Amino acid sequence: MMEIAKALPTFILFSPLIGVAVILWLPRQKSQWIRMAGLLGTLPPLLFAFFLACQFNFTRGAVQFRQDLPWFSIPLGQQKWNFSYQVGVDGLSLPLLMMTAIIVVLAAIASFSIKKREKGYFLLFLLLEMGMLGVFVARNLFLFFIFFEVTLVTMFFLIGIWGLVNRERAANQFLLYNGAGSVLMLLGFIGLLTLFQTMDFDRLLGIMHDPQIMQMLAQNEMAQKVLMGAFLCISLAFAIKLPVFPFHTWMLKVHTEAPPPVVMIHSGILLKMGAYGLIRFGVELFPTQVKEIATILAVLGLINILIGAALAFVQKDLRRILAYSSVSHMGIILFGIASLNVAGLSGAVFQAVSHGFISALLFFFIGRLYERTRTTDITELGGLASPMPVMTGIFLVGGLALLGLPGLSGFISEFLAFLGLFHTQPIIAAVGTLGLVLAAVYTLRAVLTVGFGPTDTRWRELTDARWTETIPMLTMVGVILLIGVWPAVLGDPIQTTLEQIMARMGG
Amino acid sequence: MPVTSYLALGAVLFSIGLYGVLTKRNAVLVLFSIELMLNAANINLVAFSKYGLYANQTGQVFTLFTITIAAAEAAVGIAILFALYRNRNTTNADEFDSMKG
Amino acid sequence: MSDIAWLIPLFPLLAFLLLTMGARRFSDGVASLIASGAVLISAGLSVGVLIEKVSMVAPTTLRWRWLSLGDQSISFGVEVNQLNALMLVVVSVVSLLVHIYARGYMAGDRRVPAFYAYLSLFTFSMLGLVLSPNLLQLYVFWELVGVCSFLLIGFWYFKPEAKRAARKAFILTRIGDVGLFIAVILIFWQVGSFDWGPIFTAVEAGKVAPEMITLIALLIFVGAVGKSGQFPLHSWLPDAMEGPTPVSALIHAATMVAAGVYLVARAFPIFEASDIALDTVTYVGAFTAIFAASVGLVQHDIKRVLAWSTVSQLGYMMLALGSSGYVAGVFHLTTHASFKALLFLGAGAVITALHHEQDIRQMGGLWKTQRVVGWLFLLGCLAIAGIPPFSGFFSKEEILTAAWLDGRIDVFILGVITAFLTAFYMFRLFFLVFMGGKKAKVEETRVPRIMIWPIIVLALPTVGAGFLAWLPEHGFSHWLTEGTGIAAGPEGESPGWLPLLTVLISVVGIGLAWLRYGRGRVNSAQVEAEPAKEFSIHGLLSHAYYVDDLYRWVFVKPYRWISLALTWLDRYVIAGLVKGIGLLFQNLGRIGSTMQNGQAQTYALVSLLGLVILIMGLSAGRWFG
Repeated sequence: MMEIAKALPTFILFSPLIGVAVILWLPRQKSQWIRMAGLLGTLPPLLFAFFLACQFNFTRGAVQFRQDLPWFSIPLGQQKWNFSYQVGVDGLSLPLLMMTAIIVVLAAIASFSIKKREKGYFLLFLLLEMGMLGVFVARNLFLFFIFFEVTLVTMFFLIGIWGLVNRERAANQFLLYNGAGSVLMLLGFIGLLTLFQTMDFDRLLGIMHDPQIMQMLAQNEMAQKVLMGAFLCISLAFAIKLPVFPFHTWMLKVHTEAPPPVVMIHSGILLKMGAYGLIRFGVELFPTQVKEIATILAVLGLINILIGAALAFVQKDLRRILAYSSVSHMGIILFGIASLNVAGLSGAVFQAVSHGFISALLFFFIGRLYERTRTTDITELGGLASPMPVMTGIFLVGGLALLGLPGLSGFISEFLAFLGLFHTQPIIAAVGTLGLVLAAVYTLRAVLTVGFGPTDTRWRELTDARWTETIPMLTMVGVILLIGVWPAVLGDPIQTTLEQIMARMGG
Repeated sequence: MPVTSYLALGAVLFSIGLYGVLTKRNAVLVLFSIELMLNAANINLVAFSKYGLYANQTGQVFTLFTITIAAAEAAVGIAILFALYRNRNTTNADEFDSMKG
Repeated sequence: MSDIAWLIPLFPLLAFLLLTMGARRFSDGVASLIASGAVLISAGLSVGVLIEKVSMVAPTTLRWRWLSLGDQSISFGVEVNQLNALMLVVVSVVSLLVHIYARGYMAGDRRVPAFYAYLSLFTFSMLGLVLSPNLLQLYVFWELVGVCSFLLIGFWYFKPEAKRAARKAFILTRIGDVGLFIAVILIFWQVGSFDWGPIFTAVEAGKVAPEMITLIALLIFVGAVGKSGQFPLHSWLPDAMEGPTPVSALIHAATMVAAGVYLVARAFPIFEASDIALDTVTYVGAFTAIFAASVGLVQHDIKRVLAWSTVSQLGYMMLALGSSGYVAGVFHLTTHASFKALLFLGAGAVITALHHEQDIRQMGGLWKTQRVVGWLFLLGCLAIAGIPPFSGFFSKEEILTAAWLDGRIDVFILGVITAFLTAFYMFRLFFLVFMGGKKAKVEETRVPRIMIWPIIVLALPTVGAGFLAWLPEHGFSHWLTEGTGIAAGPEGESPGWLPLLTVLISVVGIGLAWLRYGRGRVNSAQVEAEPAKEFSIHGLLSHAYYVDDLYRWVFVKPYRWISLALTWLDRYVIAGLVKGIGLLFQNLGRIGSTMQNGQAQTYALVSLLGLVILIMGLSAGRWFG
């Protein structure tokens, strides 16, 4: 039993492949079966993730369920570069892992609206899930990079084939930006590899926090430069993923052109990989370097918050509003990271998880709305609360969560992020609170224009939520409420790990 | 040094062949020019096997192989040319641009 | 009894959950019964708690861990002291009466269960706010009551005005909330705790720098300004009258808008430690009081008159607190809750009788047909005008005393003028609605009994609550401040002429209103003809000093322009840059691809050239070296 438990991350990681195998075996005409197989295929990772969460020791900050298997090595003269299969879970990756497993199931339900080439879609969908899970469990830079690329390639096809009108341009832009990001990341990783001859994350962690080695490196100017360069490359790569203004244009295209279930995943999980990467590789791996750019991060966060909010205020398309609101909310993650204390960093992780669920909820709603009205232009919509009170009510809850209403998850993350930043950068944080007001402004504009006001005759006959829609939406609302009302459920695992990170940083 | 004159002959032949390959319009002539270049290489091989630093038979053996392969290659080349001629009714190399991207 | 105080907010929450889950399965009657029953239990418990607190003043605290933050543990819980025991009763009783009243007022509406669900949620949040033992919890409920207010203002969501009013209310209060938000965070980093106790200890022990205390106090006050509709964030409150009248009575008169005052009272030790903060509170309050009262003079909508009056009275309470009149402020909060709720419910009865007509120019002569409502409304008007022996007289007098004793003569004068204006516009309202000839074109309906009874209940404290001030040995103020370390009010003996002055002023106001509107001199035609000329004083007042227009042109429009400019920038400059880089590489590729003409000879030539360059490059060193 214990042996099985030890290999849980591996099980989680590769369990989507069961679904892949089943779907490969199904004939392409049986679209109903393929959909069911796609949905069922997302369940094993969820079950394993729950099992892992039950087995997880919340009082330990260090990595748990670590597995280390030699994979291959490259001989280089006297030395050898060893590459291993290393996975593990700690308090930072567990919440994101759980979030991924849950949102993917709901996105699979939302994917029932996909009406062409279902086989290919669900194959890619499950592979994408594997990629995302891999990103969160990998404890090896090489492994991380591979899974990161898996998400990129699968997303490219999902956008390019199943997207809306301008899907191909969106897919191209997605690939260009993220490809550039990947190159930077790879450069950074290779820099680390050449310096320290390893890609093992935990060993690198040990090296980077070893005062002796660091002192030795401090004398070597070249090594310092390589280190700083690697840090900047990696940070930039994740900044593009997050995205940090002005690298956000690709993300707008994806939000407006990709099919709604894919946007759920994209906005809900993939953007959070940027946040996760920044914390894991930026803060955890480069403690001294990140301190130097903390102020820059805070300023970037401020720019994201304010510009995202301002842009979201004047958009007409609901998808664009939400896309810009994501830009704004990622600014809060940057705030949390820039504060470099437990409060701020847990705010960033809280925001990653909470915004994941909120944006997944909102894009689920938009997908269902689009299916009914064939438009997401808010100037055409209005008064939808009359024909569909339940849907609009849930949309309202999502909007309130987005603008940070206490009792819902968005508040906790904003509060913690600001709490953290006020300690280190009070002025920037104070200006940033303006974003809280602006968030209310654009969110209410969107929610009220869509839901309130007189109902257009075109929309009188719209049907309200069916149970296949109500259940996923209520699940997400439930999670949002749970985190909002009882944040300790998410806070406890994060806290111990973050405290350990902070203790290692020595400040 | 007797090897110099052989090498000069090889170089001249090679240059003539290269010139032919690059400039001739007629594909058959291009093929002939390739043969010329091959033979230039053969002359070098033979010359070195006789006057080289470590003179031995290997160079001449290689030459024999090369001649054989050149013959086979010429046969294949001519066959491709025939096929092209049947399709295009021309042997003008300028008009063979199906490799264009 | 106080040990089970945590149950008080729980029942409305349960009612809310039940009503939300059940949605349309409940009939209107059942829904109202569930909600009212829950509030009834809460009200009963609250009264029990208050009775217990009368004899035992030590605060009771209960808490549970909510979230850990490093070695800090943030907890949730309840704390019962005198102030919030009093507030509990005010909130739950008014809420109960409004629940009952709404059964009559909302009859026939399509979404009665939803209405009761929102009301329950509001009651829960408001009770939770009152019971909060720490600032963070208070902030959480602070926002929740705000969102309930938003939902209820926009209850008739299909009306565009309701939509606008709801949005405005949310955003303007949100601006205030952000101030409180910052204050909460600053306090945490200064004190290391969100709990009131440690905060007060730290402030009193001088552990926090004086400038920081001032900053924090001002930020807390910003929150109070937003919630209590003080200038300059006042303009949402009159617009909030788009909500159903019971909501206006409960949220926008008696309870939620008073939360700002409650907050200042709760955080009073922090304010006391900073003179600047106290001055700000006083002057903002005084200014708001007279500003709103003057606007109230010319409003035509019965509910808007009351709303401006609420703004004005809230300013009065702030004025009291700023002048160190802690007890006076809280006292006025209590009495105001009763008589303003009475007035709103009375207005609701009038509106129901006239088939949802709200324009006072279309009203008149209701005294003859709606005698009960008329009497009750008159009681409310007398109370707010400050005529003895009604409750408003006592609390107003205490406020003016506090201002006088605190040495703020300017504020005192403003207060007296406001009292005069209040008496005038309230009786303008009364005379126009109840006196004169009938103008209503439609037949009046009978006001259902279920709407009358709550008003009668509210009339009791409206008449009697004032006598709390006459308890032997200052019983009320003594009780309220015992064990809190807060002074009841400024030291000194109140001048004997002061009550006479306030009564005189009010009587003059009423008299003038009688002269202008009461004798039947002014008929509806004349009131209608009250000039709407631009740039006259009347125009200035009826547009509320153009504050809304100012905001529109100074904040809303420029923000929109900036956003549009940014959109342009984003769409053309940034996206253009991206596209430009893309095009650059595309063109480079195109140039490269022209070299690929499909002719093997060209390729061979190019590779030959390449070879030559390579060889030259490799041997260049030999040539030049």
